[in-house]
Amino acid sequence: MGALQCQPGHPEYVDLAEKTGFSFEQIGILHKRFKQLSHNQATLRRDHFNEIPDLACNPIRSQIIEAFFDTRNFHQNGDGTVQEIGFEEFLVVMAHFRPPSLHMTEDQREAVRKEKLRFLFNMHDTDNDGTITLEEYRHVVEELLSRSGALGKETAKTIADAAMLEVASISMGHMEPDEFYEGITFEHFLKLLSGFEIESKMNIRFLNMDTSTLCK
Amino acid sequence: MELFFNPFDNLLCILLGISFTVWFTLLLVFIIVPAIFGVSFGIRRLYMKTLLKIFEWATLRIERGAKERNHPLYKPYSNAIIAKEDTSLEEEIKEIRRSGSNRDLESAPEFEMSDIFYFARRGVESIMDDEVTKRFTAEELETWNLLTRSNNNFHYISLRLTVLWGLGVLIRYGFLLPLRVTLAFTGVGLLVFLTSVVGLLPNGRVKNILSEKVHLMCYRICVRALTAIITYHDSENKPKNGGICVANHTSPIDVIILASDGCYAMVGQIHGGLMGVIQRSMVKACPHVWFERSEVKDRHLVAKRLSDHVEDKSKLPILIFPEGTCINNTSVMMFKKGSFEIGNLSSKFGMVNYLLRMMSSWAIVCSVWYLPPMSREEGEDAVQFANRVKAAIARQGGLVDLLWDGGLKREKVKDTFKEEQQKLYSKMLVGTQEDRSRS
Repeated sequence: MGALQCQPGHPEYVDLAEKTGFSFEQIGILHKRFKQLSHNQATLRRDHFNEIPDLACNPIRSQIIEAFFDTRNFHQNGDGTVQEIGFEEFLVVMAHFRPPSLHMTEDQREAVRKEKLRFLFNMHDTDNDGTITLEEYRHVVEELLSRSGALGKETAKTIADAAMLEVASISMGHMEPDEFYEGITFEHFLKLLSGFEIESKMNIRFLNMDTSTLCK
Repeated sequence: MELFFNPFDNLLCILLGISFTVWFTLLLVFIIVPAIFGVSFGIRRLYMKTLLKIFEWATLRIERGAKERNHPLYKPYSNAIIAKEDTSLEEEIKEIRRSGSNRDLESAPEFEMSDIFYFARRGVESIMDDEVTKRFTAEELETWNLLTRSNNNFHYISLRLTVLWGLGVLIRYGFLLPLRVTLAFTGVGLLVFLTSVVGLLPNGRVKNILSEKVHLMCYRICVRALTAIITYHDSENKPKNGGICVANHTSPIDVIILASDGCYAMVGQIHGGLMGVIQRSMVKACPHVWFERSEVKDRHLVAKRLSDHVEDKSKLPILIFPEGTCINNTSVMMFKKGSFEIGNLSSKFGMVNYLLRMMSSWAIVCSVWYLPPMSREEGEDAVQFANRVKAAIARQGGLVDLLWDGGLKREKVKDTFKEEQQKLYSKMLVGTQEDRSRS
């Protein structure tokens, strides 16, 4: 791994570091954060997330919270949702937002990209059938838009439909009038977002920790 | 031998006597008399200006010295793990789209699938690190004020600076501290004594006027004991009889600062010891609302006593600090519906320790704004009213309005915040829809 050489008394972090790619100090700080959010209990539940004031402002708050309890994001081939998560699962979900390290090969980068896109895909595909249907897509769009004021419900619906149509046309090419578009599969999703630099846009910049204070 | 020492003894005694007299006369003339009449010579402001000039010089010296040695001067917040960017919603979404499509940006930005990146990222950022934790670490000052406790990075920079610091210590502990302690004792002693005396009078107008004068005078002495330089804004909005005055709570001495400008009825729990003595004598002169510890838990009793007091128009306005904990002066925490404590001693240090630190520092400079009165509107419930008041206070002070109360889960309030972001995003899209329909 080649990150830190010293291990300040937390052997369990070694496994986590290897699995998620976080450094020891980052894991330490996130552990503190986890304990703070869970009020020093061993597991986090949804209502712990509801207490974060900044998160309350986010339009897709519920989707984000659900993502933490979605076993598909735990990389263990799970299915369905859980009611509470431990620190390991917390870290694994957070790891989706780590920037790709500089010493990655093309393949590794591609894998990271796919992982991040899979995370987003799971956020849309709530019934876990492998496709994002029109309903699911419309639901996300409506969450992002305002229910009152600038846009009425009808306009929101039209925007969602228009966007969906565009998606259909891009992925299916020309459609027959009576052909039914089931939904966006993961491959289509990848194709749609192939141009976007998701590696740089969907990551959170971690500050460089002062490692000298931790290695005595 | 005796003859040899006596004259010196006498001389010493005479000198001590003279210096004490001079000391006390100065004290009386420059501090106590103005306190009685509520005038000010402007000495404190002059003092403040001089100090500021010295501090500026000291900070420049440190910065110069640090640059020469490549020392990192200001310790970054150790709690922050991520670097949050301060860009707006529009900019970020445009950035994301620009990176993706090759389309001409001038064409109408419609809803794009990639827009969700921004919100997802912001959401996870706030899970990782939110503003509230930062609130509880003390604010680190931008300039150094010659107190080691406020700058963790004070290393030896130059002889002049060290001499200045040493001089500062001497002045603060050798001159200012004794002065302030004397004043504090005088102030408190006078308060206890005079309020007891006034309490002996029969109830009536004379008693009220006297008690007001006594309270104000003693608080003003205490303010001078802390060398507090206070600027009062909008004094026309000062609370009148029969109202409730609500203030945000940054330190235990808030009471003194507010009470030295107007007469309030205090609300609080009866303490033991010296505080208890002060409280008991204060209530003899004018009706404050003190609760026994057991009564505090009974919300209805508290509410009833307060509302009885408020309804009596002849009684003084009540002063309430509804938050219950001290914040570090950058934000206003949640007002709790039923919590009323003044001088809550939940700080890390004890009260005496806290006072000592206050009195051995240079000065306290603060501003007080009186906001116009607000009353509960039709159809507003208590919590909404409280939030409205809190928002007004935060706005005035340029503070961040924090909605943090672990137990509060009122959906209505949360939805309003979510709406803000939604509105921003929709506006971005709608603006463009209109353009399209026009073209």
